[in-house]
Amino acid sequence: MSDFYQTGIITTLHQLGKPSLERLESELYGFSKVRPIALVLPSLYSEFEGPAMPGIVQELAKVKYLNEIVLVLDNASEKEFQKVREFMSPISTDVRIIHNDGKRISEIYETFARNGFNVGERGKGRSAWLSYGYVLARRRSDIIALHDCDIVTYSRELLARLCYPVVNPNLDYVFCKGYYSRISNKMNGRVTRLLVTPLVRSLQQLVGPHNFLAFLDSFRYPLAGEFCMTTDLARVNRIPWDWGLEVGSLAEVHRNYSPRRVCQVDIAANYDHKHQVLSADDASKGLMKMTVDICKSIFRTLASEGVVFSDGLFKSLLVSYLRQAEDTIMKYEADAAINGLKFDRHEEAMAVEAFTRAIGMATQVFMENPMATPLIPNWNRVTSAIPDIFEMLQIAVDADNK
Amino acid sequence: MEDFINLILEPLKELFLKFKVFVPNLLAMLVILFIGILLALVLKRFLAKFLAAINFDSWSDRMGFTKLMRKGDLWSKPSATLGEAVFWLLIIVTLMSGLNALQITAIDQLVNQFFSYIPRIFSAAMILTIGYLLSGFISRTVLIAAANSGFHYAKLLAKAVHTLLIMLILAMIMEQLQIAPSIVLAAFSIIFGGIVIALAIAFGVGGINAARRIIEKETMPKREDETKDEIEHI
Amino acid sequence: MAMKTTTFRTEVHEQLEHIGQADIIVGIPSFNNARTIGHVVRAVQGGLAKYFPECKSVIVNSDGGSSDGTTDVVHNSSIDDFSAILLHHRVSPISKIAFPYSGIPGKGSAFRTIFEIAEVLGAKACAVVDSDLRSITPEWVELLVTPVLKGGYDYVSPLYHRHKFDGTITNSIVYPLTRALYGKRVRQPIGGDFGFSGSLAQFYLTKDVWQTDVARFGIDIWMTTTAIANGFKVTQSFLGAKIHDAKDPGADLSSMLYQVVSTTFELMETYAEVWMPIQGTEPVPAFGFEYTVGLEPVNVNTGRMLNIFREGLRNLGEIWLDILGAGDFGEVEKLGALPDSEFHFPIGLWAQVVYDYALAFHKRKLPAEHLIKSMTPLYIGKTASFIMEAREMGQQEADAEIEKLCLEFEKRKDYLVTNWK
Repeated sequence: MSDFYQTGIITTLHQLGKPSLERLESELYGFSKVRPIALVLPSLYSEFEGPAMPGIVQELAKVKYLNEIVLVLDNASEKEFQKVREFMSPISTDVRIIHNDGKRISEIYETFARNGFNVGERGKGRSAWLSYGYVLARRRSDIIALHDCDIVTYSRELLARLCYPVVNPNLDYVFCKGYYSRISNKMNGRVTRLLVTPLVRSLQQLVGPHNFLAFLDSFRYPLAGEFCMTTDLARVNRIPWDWGLEVGSLAEVHRNYSPRRVCQVDIAANYDHKHQVLSADDASKGLMKMTVDICKSIFRTLASEGVVFSDGLFKSLLVSYLRQAEDTIMKYEADAAINGLKFDRHEEAMAVEAFTRAIGMATQVFMENPMATPLIPNWNRVTSAIPDIFEMLQIAVDADNK
Repeated sequence: MEDFINLILEPLKELFLKFKVFVPNLLAMLVILFIGILLALVLKRFLAKFLAAINFDSWSDRMGFTKLMRKGDLWSKPSATLGEAVFWLLIIVTLMSGLNALQITAIDQLVNQFFSYIPRIFSAAMILTIGYLLSGFISRTVLIAAANSGFHYAKLLAKAVHTLLIMLILAMIMEQLQIAPSIVLAAFSIIFGGIVIALAIAFGVGGINAARRIIEKETMPKREDETKDEIEHI
Repeated sequence: MAMKTTTFRTEVHEQLEHIGQADIIVGIPSFNNARTIGHVVRAVQGGLAKYFPECKSVIVNSDGGSSDGTTDVVHNSSIDDFSAILLHHRVSPISKIAFPYSGIPGKGSAFRTIFEIAEVLGAKACAVVDSDLRSITPEWVELLVTPVLKGGYDYVSPLYHRHKFDGTITNSIVYPLTRALYGKRVRQPIGGDFGFSGSLAQFYLTKDVWQTDVARFGIDIWMTTTAIANGFKVTQSFLGAKIHDAKDPGADLSSMLYQVVSTTFELMETYAEVWMPIQGTEPVPAFGFEYTVGLEPVNVNTGRMLNIFREGLRNLGEIWLDILGAGDFGEVEKLGALPDSEFHFPIGLWAQVVYDYALAFHKRKLPAEHLIKSMTPLYIGKTASFIMEAREMGQQEADAEIEKLCLEFEKRKDYLVTNWK
């Protein structure tokens, strides 16, 4: 049972009582007639052979309030693309699949490159960005919702709650982020718990009160991959194509909109992600890159708002972060203890050490080249440079899906 | 002097003769191994295609075999695993035949023992497959029947039935494979007998109150509403 | 006329040759109905005499091996004027163990025999009635046969005067589903007493279902569905109250549910091409005087039913999650947490449940019997919810509730169609 505390900067929408899914969906159905919703699903082909996708398709087949579904398929051959089309056929909503490795879409990426636009490497950021472009090109939807394709405990309720705050015209939110507790028999979500939150708080200590840091701190799960926004944001925001995607998106939202129009919603009682990257062995590799990217994103945002980063600041940052993180571990230990969850103090401490090293690396990289930016240009800029790009993208996707 | 040279040459000649006899066998073994490995590879490829064509993987998913594999931390496709298993089986058979070709009696005996053991492996595999499917079916029948009559502990009962059947099957398999048969028999009898005695004691003496409460809980509602529902469902 | 089957024994062959030709056949399948069948036979004879004096009629009693003297009673009740044919239909031993809800093992085989006799005798109109009816009147014969003989219809479905709480399997599953699938509003598709034309009887004979479950316990719904799906002209007749011998009270609800629902789902497989493109539904005309629905208070222990629902949720939850998906299962879980006074099973959710089960049956997710029997607590929950709501309702309100449920089924049909692969 959750509380109903409001953090004060952005609105928090809790799960209070046992709200009826039917009521939620029928309201959404009504609203969606006026504000049509597009669902974007960045995916890899391997996820279609995993345990989560069949459940997701089964649930989406029952959703009536979506205007269109855009699935971006990465790492798939032509045959696999056709298999995915077959896989998605039970869904009655209009499904368009963007086949990243197909020759038409590859040609589109080429078009960006030769016009001087660096849209980044293959990954979730690039896929999501391209799908926004497609949704904007079609001009059929006002709202974009996005979630991952590896959620094993997916339910229609997750999607409904995610969309509701933005779709409901009486509520005036332009951006809504999902939050949840990632627990199984132990506490997961280590990067959020032990990196982002202590880092943000130690930055607040060093830099003083700062709007963006307070904004970031008010999110209960800033690294959640589930969010919903109006298409205007898709047009204007510049999102990072590396691991700083989530944090960078929040930074863009903060830059372009008032926090009064941002909210977070509790989307699941029990959320289980089959996250492939952070297995115990190559945890170091994946974790390192992720930490570095996230830190770069935060530093860059702060720098752009006038914070001066010096050697001294960074040195203090490492010490302060370590302190914050250690305190945080103790807090979570207590939380795990009372709730009967497994908690390996040593593992957590090792993670913190790894994060500290990674932050050190990030500071070095940032100091060497603060302007190196993995931000994908926003669509307004792209369309002004390549006026026909929307039409070309539409033709490509429609042809692939014929 | 000649004798001395002969003394040295004789054993060498014998050795050479023995070697001459041995070499064809060795060659035979190498040829068998070569052909066998080639055959195994070809068969594995062919089997993989065949299994994909008959949708073996989705059948395995539905039957619950994939779940078993996943529980055992085996994350490859069931058809791939089966192909691998068949491949290695063929390799072993090839190896055994090859060793046979060497015509060394000690090895021959080992090989014979191995080959006579194989039918038991097959029957054990059969028992495992059929038994697993059947026990799942029976325990689910029990679950649904008990749940539909409103029995509170239906899931527990079904799990118990399932466990008992699995134990029975494991015992049968171990007996087939002749793994410590007398120990298995003794252990099985003790466990089953023990369960029966424990239940008897529980209901007769020890848990008499708990048992009474459970029984009362199940029979009381029936006594309260002797009047049957007066509607017709059909 | 060549005898196509060896079902007929020599005496029956002789009888048929002796009769030669008939206009109307009335079939009465029976099994240990000595107490009631006399009345049924007399009512049928009376009806034939009163309303179709100019027609040549034959009564056929197909018995499943009664041990209580049923056939003797039939023999004694028959007036000499009447040609009555008595025969036995083949009953597989299993049918006698797994007792069908209709009370007559191998009822399908009985009907087959009746169809064959209709074909041999060149009958224009036929009817079948249950052998345990206490409320049958001579008028029933007129109501079942006239639409065929004079109205040109091929199939007459019955409409009984029932209590608003009776026939819940029909009201919550078979009627809404059959209506949404095949587009015709046949209100009571598993009535038990039907009228049909000779040509429809011949058509039935061309279908090879006599070794399947249809013959064992699904013949009623099969006849209705086959008639609708193959474009025969269907109508309904108000017959009045259906009072019959209380069936064995130990009749297991989940077996009944299994028998009825599995046949319905099987028929969906056969007629997939027919029902998928149909959208919307048409009313079906009805003959006779409309009867009102019984509104007397009846004793129903909804508390016990809700307990069974909750226990089912507890024990069969994993199976339900697999079939319904996380969203709908979550809704069912929320229902389980409601106290009795607030319990309400939303009709949209129920329609979704039935469709999900139909899809699970189609995809063979579980062995058929396990699958459908696992639906029992859900059905009981829905029934309890309806009873609690309709307790104070009059006829029109109760009918309106059922109409709302049917519209939900129609609204969600496209989900069923797109997911049926």
